[in-house]
Amino acid sequence: MIRLFKQPQTAMRYKLQLGTAVLTAALLLFLYIYTAFVLRHDSTLTNLSIRLQGSSLMHPLGTDHLGRDVLTRLMLGGRQTVGYSLLALAAALLIGTASGMIAGFKGGWLDRIFMRIADGFLAFPDMIVVIVLSGLLGPGLHSMITAIVMVKWVSYARVVRTTVITESRQDYMLAARINGLSPANMLSRHLLPHVAGQVLVLASLDLGKVILLISSLSYIGLGVQPPTPEWGAMLNDSRPYFQLAPQLMLYPGLAIVLLVLSVNMLGDYLRDYFDVKKEVRV
Amino acid sequence: MLHFDEITIRTSSRTLVDKVSLNVQPGEWHALVGQSGSGKSLLSRSAGQLLPPGLSAEGSILLEGTDLLGLKRSNLRSLLGRRMSYIFQDYQAAFAPFRTIGQHFREAIATHDKQRLREAPDRTSAALESVGLEGSLASRYPFQLSGGQLQRASIALALLFSPDVLIADEVTTALDSVSGHRVLSLLNRLRLETGCSILFITHDWRHVRRYTDRIAVMKDGRIVESGGTHRVLDHPRHEYTRRLIAAAPVLSRLPSGLQEAQP
Amino acid sequence: MSNPLLCVEQLSKRYASGKLAIDEVSFQLGRGESLGLVGESGCGKSTLARCLLRLEPVSSGTIIFKGQPVQQLTEKQLNPYRRDMQMVFQNPAAALNPRLRIRDSLLDPYKQYSSQMQHSYFSCTSRSAFVTELLEAVELSPSLSGCYPHELSGGQKQRVTIARAVSIEPALIVLDEPTASLDVLSQGAILTLLEHLQRNLKLAYLFISHDLAAVSRMCSRMLVMREGTFVDSFSRQMMFAEDRHPYTKELISIF
Repeated sequence: MIRLFKQPQTAMRYKLQLGTAVLTAALLLFLYIYTAFVLRHDSTLTNLSIRLQGSSLMHPLGTDHLGRDVLTRLMLGGRQTVGYSLLALAAALLIGTASGMIAGFKGGWLDRIFMRIADGFLAFPDMIVVIVLSGLLGPGLHSMITAIVMVKWVSYARVVRTTVITESRQDYMLAARINGLSPANMLSRHLLPHVAGQVLVLASLDLGKVILLISSLSYIGLGVQPPTPEWGAMLNDSRPYFQLAPQLMLYPGLAIVLLVLSVNMLGDYLRDYFDVKKEVRV
Repeated sequence: MLHFDEITIRTSSRTLVDKVSLNVQPGEWHALVGQSGSGKSLLSRSAGQLLPPGLSAEGSILLEGTDLLGLKRSNLRSLLGRRMSYIFQDYQAAFAPFRTIGQHFREAIATHDKQRLREAPDRTSAALESVGLEGSLASRYPFQLSGGQLQRASIALALLFSPDVLIADEVTTALDSVSGHRVLSLLNRLRLETGCSILFITHDWRHVRRYTDRIAVMKDGRIVESGGTHRVLDHPRHEYTRRLIAAAPVLSRLPSGLQEAQP
Repeated sequence: MSNPLLCVEQLSKRYASGKLAIDEVSFQLGRGESLGLVGESGCGKSTLARCLLRLEPVSSGTIIFKGQPVQQLTEKQLNPYRRDMQMVFQNPAAALNPRLRIRDSLLDPYKQYSSQMQHSYFSCTSRSAFVTELLEAVELSPSLSGCYPHELSGGQKQRVTIARAVSIEPALIVLDEPTASLDVLSQGAILTLLEHLQRNLKLAYLFISHDLAAVSRMCSRMLVMREGTFVDSFSRQMMFAEDRHPYTKELISIF
């Protein structure tokens, strides 16, 4: 039937999501610029004379156990975490989408091999694979990113493959064949728009998970190595001072929570955005 | 028998069905013809309070004096399927895919006639045979049946308790014309045998012209013309009815040149 | 027929499951002719259409299109012939990519074949002018070109797929139940449009349908298919003749 209702809440939620995301981003950007250009602390310079201070004008969030500015470290750490998460995800996304599209479109033995490899990766829980790989390749950023890519590409490949297979059965793909489109053309023109939305939404939801993963790996000492600031590592560092200065654990924890929340909001927004048929149908 | 009195269905912005009155006589086959979006399905669904969420009907619908719109859900449930039945276009959705045809019949008997649940297998195969299917199909799952067979089974289920009124919503649309034709002649036979009246919703008057007693033509939520089948089809009064008739090709023994020359 | 456009000889199609979908069918189709193919669902008529367009491999037999046997050609070799055969599908909602705007769907065949086109009917000076011309040819408003398929009604969508099929001025269009999923008013309008386009573009139609009334309106010659074989073949004048196959008589009795 034709569109009968436009649900007002949907439009509201839509704006709310976008608004929150934009607001958070603006706030973070402001804080980042403020720390980088106004405060200009060195994130790794230790100064034991001012350790474990509370909030002040010079140190808005105080200092940590080595006298380093918490806000500066929080900002730089955030840059690291988000940057590496994005990097890892982008790599996983590219590999997953490409392999999923080819496997789903070509089918046959190629598909079977791809999927058996994917099944192999899926058999292990994310966390375990990441820990084992980090252990094997040695702790550090490069091994963490490799591990995340290896774990994450599988889910994209599977989603993409399923979409490609169902959409390939539609009549419009037959029409494309009749119209002489090359396989590359069919993939890029007809299938990519279907896949892109889905995968981007999935990725934005995964971004939260990856941030958590990087933070938790750093927390247990397998990720970013000190003195480079990173939220998980900061949490870990401040553990011994939990009773003296609880805010040291609170700030990076809050930062993780807020970032993951707003990234998930962004994911929700993207999902609505890529849904061509926005109206609710009866 | 089934009497729609000034039914209005509207959303906040649009009126979908506008003060429509319709009366289905006992034992008659009444066709309701219209394009998609004309409101014909909404009208038929309002009788069983089957409207999509957010919509409700104003007016009154009487089934032998009982006002259906005022009934409580629980009372309506005991009435639906027993005194008034529905069959829909989507025959695949009429049966849950993981239960056999027989289990569906058993469930219906358990709902409406619990005392005689023990006779369920016999009644099921008798009902299936009455629509020209083998009784052994009861042990099959829906996906093992063809479209025509499933639609027959859904008719058998709808007529299990000899309802007074059967509301058939586009039941032949998803079938090809051959299976559709067989389903229609079956419906007609069952109507003559059981005496139930049929309210038949369709967009294609060709399917029903040989069975229906009366036709109502619906457009944009209103009935623009209604009357005896022959009167409406042979001497249409409303412009829209004329267009409907002109749009659908029929076979005639006239040389084709003459047929095409008509406006 | 001395030089038919399409000549099918003893074509068979067996599914991987071993089921015989088409059993040695033969027929010819002349240039500019419309041939009807009638049968109920599951009789193999849609499979036949897909085999003709080489969307599915055939098991045995020959398909000669414009004097060239095409049944064994690879996709690449098939390309010059693909330009001349188009198809209109039963369900227009599935035949248009829901994520592409109407104009992008319409331009699909044009992008591939524009170099081989004769432009005898459509002038196409620019892409946007071409899209406008196409939409007007199927009596749609040019303003629809920026819409997505879900914003159009079923009849409008089917007009778009027809516009796409005629855009490269093919010799043959296989119409696979083009009206089956539309309501009566749209059905009639689509049939009129198809007749109109056939006259203007000198198209040959293979009209596949279960609706004998629609087929007999469009086609002068008809084939009746049942369980993978042709049981009857007749011209429109001979439709009511006494020696028709009993199955044909049953089909006639429906309408």
